[in-house]
Amino acid sequence: MRSSSLSKISSILFSVFLLFSCSSDLDFDQVNDFKIEPIFVANLAYFDIPANKLVDDGGTNIYPDVRDFDIFKNKFFNDRLKKAEFDFEIENNINRSFVINMLLLSEGNQILQTLSFTVPAYTGTPNVIKYPTEVFENARLDLLKQTQKIGFVVVIAAGPPLNSESLGNLKLRSSATAYLVIE
Amino acid sequence: MRKTLILCLFFHLSCFAQNRELLYNFTSIPQSSLVNPGADVSYKYYFGFPVLSGISANVGSSSFSAYDLFSKDGVDFNQKVRNVVNKSSSNDKVVTNQQLELFSGGFRIGGRESRSYITFGLYQEFDFFMFVPKDLALLALNGNRDYIGKSFNLGDLNMKAEVLSVFHVGFHKKINDKFVYGGRAKIYSSGANATSTKNSGYIYTGQQAGTPNLYNQVISSNLELKTSGIASFTKDEYDGNIARDLTNNTFFNGSLGLGVDAGITYYIKDNLQFTASIVDLGFVRQSKDIETLTYKGTYRYNGANPDFLGSDDPENVFDEFDKAIPRDTLYHKYTTWRPTKIYSSIQYSFGEARPDDECNCHGKVDKYYKNAVGAQFFAMSAPRVPLFAITAFYRRNIFKKLDLKATYTLDTFSNKNIGLGLAGTIGPVNIYALVNNVLEYKDISKASSAAFQLGINFVFQDKDD
Repeated sequence: MRSSSLSKISSILFSVFLLFSCSSDLDFDQVNDFKIEPIFVANLAYFDIPANKLVDDGGTNIYPDVRDFDIFKNKFFNDRLKKAEFDFEIENNINRSFVINMLLLSEGNQILQTLSFTVPAYTGTPNVIKYPTEVFENARLDLLKQTQKIGFVVVIAAGPPLNSESLGNLKLRSSATAYLVIE
Repeated sequence: MRKTLILCLFFHLSCFAQNRELLYNFTSIPQSSLVNPGADVSYKYYFGFPVLSGISANVGSSSFSAYDLFSKDGVDFNQKVRNVVNKSSSNDKVVTNQQLELFSGGFRIGGRESRSYITFGLYQEFDFFMFVPKDLALLALNGNRDYIGKSFNLGDLNMKAEVLSVFHVGFHKKINDKFVYGGRAKIYSSGANATSTKNSGYIYTGQQAGTPNLYNQVISSNLELKTSGIASFTKDEYDGNIARDLTNNTFFNGSLGLGVDAGITYYIKDNLQFTASIVDLGFVRQSKDIETLTYKGTYRYNGANPDFLGSDDPENVFDEFDKAIPRDTLYHKYTTWRPTKIYSSIQYSFGEARPDDECNCHGKVDKYYKNAVGAQFFAMSAPRVPLFAITAFYRRNIFKKLDLKATYTLDTFSNKNIGLGLAGTIGPVNIYALVNNVLEYKDISKASSAAFQLGINFVFQDKDD
């Protein structure tokens, strides 16, 4: 409704502009060249796990979780997405090293891609790591577009045991950059 | 192609300038009573040539012209779009107004000495008014990446459009040589209306230290689009002819409204004249095929937030968005106000003349002035703030039956708008042509506003005994 009344209005407006062609040399076919390439950024995922919730005996442990991620169900967006980038920033204040895996999953829980981040243990100095940008183009972009869920797997490597008194957090922040081409 | 466009110009998108500075108080044209029902117009009776009595065109854009977008200068079209958006502000407006007079007429009532007149007519009108939605255009063109910290204002979306027919009956009376007053009642029949003038909200992407996420992303939306006479055309099951149905609705099945015009002419001295009028003080009660869409709410986007410690709380971005900012469709009637216009003028006449081209055997001398200069004021109600214009004019009586009017107008759209108008009478046939913004006609595509108007009437005066 909204789009069609808008298009009606714009066609009326456009016809008004057309009137001017009666007396001047203009090229309205240029409208066909219309193409915009907006770039949008958005939050992708974040978490903040306090050490005292990761009670463990000092061995290797795995914490998984899966989230719905349905942006690619939007056909308009999917068709016009030409490139995407993911940026990750991880801060670790826990005296253990981690591996964080981000799994891009299909509708049927098939793993399409795995992004893996190694996080060194906290040694008393600030430990914020910005990981290299993950770029999705061509075949990798096609895989991304099939993504319906995002899975996270946090693997704690062996080290000093953690209990409810342990200090520190493991924080992840990430963003997505979408390059669209609309024509 | 061009011929079709010219036809289209004449019959579909013939537009009156909202400000009809040339027509105003140009009393040798009967239609001047449309902009001042108290104009000092006199005749025994007149009628407009059906469909051809009032044809004109106007379009105005305060920040860009057709040339800016469509010139053949080799510049990439998308760059031109960007340039237009960049040089526009959200207070720049695009305005069109079109009217087509279907029939009109007037006659004197009472005896020969009476100076009371009845006028009537039916015209069709299209109005469009929009502010340039600068922020949303920027967002669509560039995305939000380079605008971290900026709030894109949804209040920039501000437009209204209406197609309606107006049936009117007016009365004016010259009560003595000094004073004329007149009024007109109007019945509006609105075939289609779209109004979206009370929007607010923003789209924001920011970065704030101390928050768990990379970005602080909020859409706060208070959008509303009210429509009348449009909803059924947008349904999938509609398979009629929009143009025909819209015409039908406009003339026979529209939302009804009422309005009045009023005006006066007062001669302070013989050669010093003051006029004032108010036009389209009225409303339409939008009641046919109404549909109001709203998007109201606030949505904060956080991205996926895994919870490794048990409680699973499934997220769905679209569902959450729809829940936060639901699309609601409402069906209540609403009232729209017509764009009300106010005119006023002061005119000083000089160069006294007598109709020496005819033998005057009655002893009664009809002296008149060959020249007049003066100033006019125009204001029109519009969303946010009213539009204003001031005009200086010179009017010259070239021959007894041929008048010329030249205007210089300052308004939102131009500060060098020169207009020229001619009105002539041959026997009972009254022909007029008014052209606005003549300086821009050498390349009208560069004009930010343009208007022309022409028409044919048959005017009958008393025969000299």
